[in-house]
Amino acid sequence: MSAAKVRVLAVALLGAAAATRLRAQPLPPPVASYQITCRLDAEKKTVEGTEVLAWKNTTSRPAATLQLHLYLNAFRNTLSTFWRESSGEHRDGSLPDSWGSIEIKRMTGSDGTDLLPAMRFIAPDDGNPHDRTVAEVILPRPVQPGETISVTMDFSSVLPRVSVRTGYKDDFFMVVQWFPKVGVFEEKGWNCHQFHAASEFFSDFGNYDISIDVPARYKGKVGATGQRVDERETSAGRVLDRFRQQGVHDFAWTADPSYLVLVDAFREAGLSDVQLLLYLQPEHASQAERYFRAAKAALSGYGRVLGTYPYATLSIVDPPWGTNGAGGMEYPTLITGGTAWSAPKSIHRPEGVTVHEAGHQFFYGLLASNEFEEAWLDEGFNTYMTGRVMNATYGSNRVDLQVFGLHFPLGIDIHFPLDTNRRYFEVADWDVLASESWKFRNRRSYSSHVYSKTALTMATLERLLGTPAMDRALRLYAERWRFRHPTTKDFIAAVNESTGADWNWFFNRTFFSSGIVDYAVAEAESKPAVPPRGLFEKDGKLTAGPPTNLAKARGYDSAVTVVRRGDVVMPVDVLLRFEGGRVHRSRWDGEARWKKFRVSSGPRLLEATVDPDEKILLDADRTNNGARTEPDPRAATRWTARAVFWVQNMIDFMTVAW
Amino acid sequence: MSRRGPRAVGCFLRGLKLSLSKPYLAVALWLIQLMLSAALILPISNTLHSLLDRSPAGEKMVANPDYGWWETLRRVHPDVLGNFPEIATGLLSSEGIHWSELPGLRGVGATAFSLALLAAVLHAFALGGALGALREPSSSLVTFGREGMRRMPAFLVFTFASLGAAFAAYEWIYVESGEALRSRVKDLHTEQAALAVTGLRLAALLVALAAIKLMADSVRTVWVARPDLPPVSRFLFGIGGAIARPLRLFGILGLYSVLTAGLYVFWLVLDPSAGGEARFALVPLILAQQAFVFVRLLIKIGYYAGISEALTRSPSPEYSYVPVDAAAARAASAPAAADEAPLDRA
Repeated sequence: MSAAKVRVLAVALLGAAAATRLRAQPLPPPVASYQITCRLDAEKKTVEGTEVLAWKNTTSRPAATLQLHLYLNAFRNTLSTFWRESSGEHRDGSLPDSWGSIEIKRMTGSDGTDLLPAMRFIAPDDGNPHDRTVAEVILPRPVQPGETISVTMDFSSVLPRVSVRTGYKDDFFMVVQWFPKVGVFEEKGWNCHQFHAASEFFSDFGNYDISIDVPARYKGKVGATGQRVDERETSAGRVLDRFRQQGVHDFAWTADPSYLVLVDAFREAGLSDVQLLLYLQPEHASQAERYFRAAKAALSGYGRVLGTYPYATLSIVDPPWGTNGAGGMEYPTLITGGTAWSAPKSIHRPEGVTVHEAGHQFFYGLLASNEFEEAWLDEGFNTYMTGRVMNATYGSNRVDLQVFGLHFPLGIDIHFPLDTNRRYFEVADWDVLASESWKFRNRRSYSSHVYSKTALTMATLERLLGTPAMDRALRLYAERWRFRHPTTKDFIAAVNESTGADWNWFFNRTFFSSGIVDYAVAEAESKPAVPPRGLFEKDGKLTAGPPTNLAKARGYDSAVTVVRRGDVVMPVDVLLRFEGGRVHRSRWDGEARWKKFRVSSGPRLLEATVDPDEKILLDADRTNNGARTEPDPRAATRWTARAVFWVQNMIDFMTVAW
Repeated sequence: MSRRGPRAVGCFLRGLKLSLSKPYLAVALWLIQLMLSAALILPISNTLHSLLDRSPAGEKMVANPDYGWWETLRRVHPDVLGNFPEIATGLLSSEGIHWSELPGLRGVGATAFSLALLAAVLHAFALGGALGALREPSSSLVTFGREGMRRMPAFLVFTFASLGAAFAAYEWIYVESGEALRSRVKDLHTEQAALAVTGLRLAALLVALAAIKLMADSVRTVWVARPDLPPVSRFLFGIGGAIARPLRLFGILGLYSVLTAGLYVFWLVLDPSAGGEARFALVPLILAQQAFVFVRLLIKIGYYAGISEALTRSPSPEYSYVPVDAAAARAASAPAAADEAPLDRA
């Protein structure tokens, strides 16, 4: 047995031991549970399955219908809402002409009633008659409050070539959003949105028991949500894997004969033990430790703030080359990473993706907010926390220069969270953050707002509250709303409650505004004080020249004008730095368009800075946040010399051969 | 009887020796490039001083580039560079750049590109001067200027023809192949295989560019070496010269490329412009930069001298070096070609 195999075995034993030592974590009562038996046809790229859905009406009103997501139909043809919205471009560039679909072939109620004739396709978001991603079934009788019904379905899913999360490439399969899935029934009715180009998902918690029949070459190479409870050979050349997981709201699985399956364990005092399963591409074998370290950093960093991860396993899938569309995605207890063969250690690319996707377990996974309607509660909050964990674990990142497909770090630091979210500033006034996902101007605006603006807003809030107070607010929010689908107002209430102050003004100006924040120092000057001139009262008479006590001017008169260039008002500090090390700090409510600060007969002013502690990370232009009274030409001169030098070289490059 | 020509290394070393013996040629090229880039000093300097001198970003920027400042500059002042950085990085990408991106250039970025085109024109003059001066044992800047002006019309044609051929090679060999293979590359099993495909496309492009360059340089060299022949014959002799000695010429080009690349690596590793004022004060920095450019141009002249050596030295009698007296006697007796008007004897 090779040393590598011994190591894998040892780590596997350690991981198994860790999993068994898992302290019982409370999981939610099931609302939508699934028992599915499916068969993968690896040649035809199809999955045939039989699903038994047990759904409970948890509202106070009867449900006369059942609404189902049929997500794979987004890839059915170019008339789907997803295709129309994406214009044929998505995560991995142009969408290939590789079609996917899902078809329900049989649907019966628990009493054997054929429900299929009562099924029709609906398009609640845009009325697109060609969209087949939501189906409604009229039930023979309404489901009463508190009642649970059982529906059995035979379905057939055709997988597309991977471009948007799901599909295949050669022998690799990423099977997600693949089965008929019930929507969320709320007091106001069904919440079951169509598959959009710029949106993720929303569903109820339940228990999953999934059996997957795959060709024998996939033995030991199937990863999925939850824990594998069985793997056995069945008919000729087939293997049946069975996975179970309680208290989750989706199920994803993957299979690839090429996977290196590695096991590790997360153990940290005060947090639950977790078995880490890594499904790694052979060409990324050297990056296994990077994946594991990042996953552990996420479980620790998020767990310390938001509460422990309650499941026994976390599976990390490393998609193969050519399947970027499958990478960087989260499912309950399973995430997909993203790296490159030449990923330098100083760029932290696999680490950043892994921390982010593992972090989703704490928002998407455990809180399960509605990503169709309030995507920022998952993606944005998670991006903010990703920055914190990355910063604490790895420090700043480096600019990634790609040279003919190889990655090289440039000697330029990228700091979390400001530099990593600068894309927001390019589209800052395009949309209001608090918008439904498919109503943003385009996917660029969606991602820049949902991910980056939210992250910068949260980081700004942290700097205004202080990190301990921010952590208390997050903890209150996460614990109170675990498994309960919180909304934005629930988060704001948690902040107000934990801080004992009203922060609605802050959220109104950030989450519910498309305004830009930009404070600037417009002028800063410091002149030697001059004695007053003119007529002054002396012994009851007006005489020329000032009295003795005013005749001698001392020090400097300094004036600083701070302006608000953006629409959004934020309270800011203004710092004046004087010769001799004296500083003067003022607080400005930021309401007016400008405010002038004057200091008379003081030491010479060197510099004025608005928001000197860089609390307002939403400030669109920090280069104007300060002004020196005397110019310092060093940087400009040096960069001029550098620029001219490289222009000389560029000119030579252009003429070298011709 | 064996007619083995001189080896590439020998030609290149002799070329470097010739270049060192006539440093005014590198000086002339250096001055041309410096003057061209000087046109950008004022716009770059004024922009940077107005953005940095009183800004808090200035302090951060003395030693190292600041990502935040750079991003803000691009966003707040898009007219300074336009998409120049995207084009520059696009040149290093697997996909390459499309000509349709050029209209996105603005300000300093657009000017830099235009200057590079102007530089191509001036280099046509400089190469004529350099190749002419290299052939004369006792030459001077006067020779350089005279020969440059004399060859300029023909050399301009060669320059733009080869520049066009290079652009076409880039488009057809690299960019088009990238587009044609895009989906197939994604279907490859591993990223390493995809990188290998990119490497092959790049290698094919480099070979094509090298062939174009060597053809052009060969034609230029023969054009100077055989003024007694009609233009078409000189052109064909030049092409033939390149085809007849591919290994020798590729060898010289390879040595030149490796030496130049090594010089850049040395510069980037040494990085005298980074780390703030403690490492290099401004004046020594500028001097070091210009010394670097000058050394690079000495090597460049050495390359052209090496090519000239490879094509015209013994035992390659067809373009043998002709002593100046004999050349003058022959020029007096033989009818000159149409483009060989004696500019310096008017």
